[in-house]
Amino acid sequence: MDGDSSTTDTTQLGITGEYMTGGTYVLQTQDDDGDESFNDHEDGNDSKDYFREQDIYLPIANVARIMKNAIPQTGKIAKDAKECVQECVSEFISFITSEASERCHQEKRKTINGEDILFAMSTLGFDMYVEPLKLYLQKFREAMKGEKGINPVAVSEGLGEELTDDSFTGQLPAGLISADGQQQNVMVYTTSYQQIPGVQQIQFS
Amino acid sequence: MSEKNMEEKVEHATNSKNVSLPMSRVRLIMKSSPDVSCINQDALFLTTKATELFVQHLALSSYKNGSGKETNTLSYSDLANAAEEKETFQFLTDILPKKILARDYLKSLEEMKKDDDNL
Repeated sequence: MDGDSSTTDTTQLGITGEYMTGGTYVLQTQDDDGDESFNDHEDGNDSKDYFREQDIYLPIANVARIMKNAIPQTGKIAKDAKECVQECVSEFISFITSEASERCHQEKRKTINGEDILFAMSTLGFDMYVEPLKLYLQKFREAMKGEKGINPVAVSEGLGEELTDDSFTGQLPAGLISADGQQQNVMVYTTSYQQIPGVQQIQFS
Repeated sequence: MSEKNMEEKVEHATNSKNVSLPMSRVRLIMKSSPDVSCINQDALFLTTKATELFVQHLALSSYKNGSGKETNTLSYSDLANAAEEKETFQFLTDILPKKILARDYLKSLEEMKKDDDNL
């Protein structure tokens, strides 16, 4: 990946250097308890005076739940995988934010807006998120305006029919990924459980 | 409308809408990036929602690609492999080092030393 051709190159040894600079490695103990966490993330908000960027995470329960709903129902998730995704998520947010922020600065603006975020996604290789996100945003704005209840929004062209309420599943909003890779109309679930047929599916395979 | 008022409105709206991650925490992470001053509402929502999609994407991709098929469990190494193999996830390689047993590491160190001696 790096094109460094020295014999001490970690990638040639098939080992990836640890994320701290200096080429150290993560060693796995014999009895892999899999519980290596680099930071205490009970709730990083205890000491408000000092936050390192890496210390702020989203709650692991939320993250784990989204993961669980994404993989096939019979699948399990290792504990260190959950913690790891938690860290990846913070990395992702920072990644997008700094790209968006840079664009903002270039255009001499102070506030990061929706466009900046979408543009950053596109630039960084997440353009498959962009279209669904625009739809979600539309719904969000509608919800913000009329809090009395969500007005059905026909988001696909030429459908012309009213959206109807579907039965409750009690699940969190499902993603747009189809686990079996088949082409199908993907339903976007909101917590009011309305279906929006015709939403473009994201193929993540 | 004061900012606090606006914040409450956002919180209330998002609680009953389709986000399953706390937007206030997402904002905190965003603000920890250098040179970030203001983030508008749309941007915050989009980032939160995108993060959800990202979690799903990463989890499913790693699971399908890795040993999940046999063991039925998504493991750390599945994630590390996905980070290395998929272009989209390559920004994660620094924080997803592949784990190595200490004895294997020491062995490869010895081999490196031998190579150096042979030169």
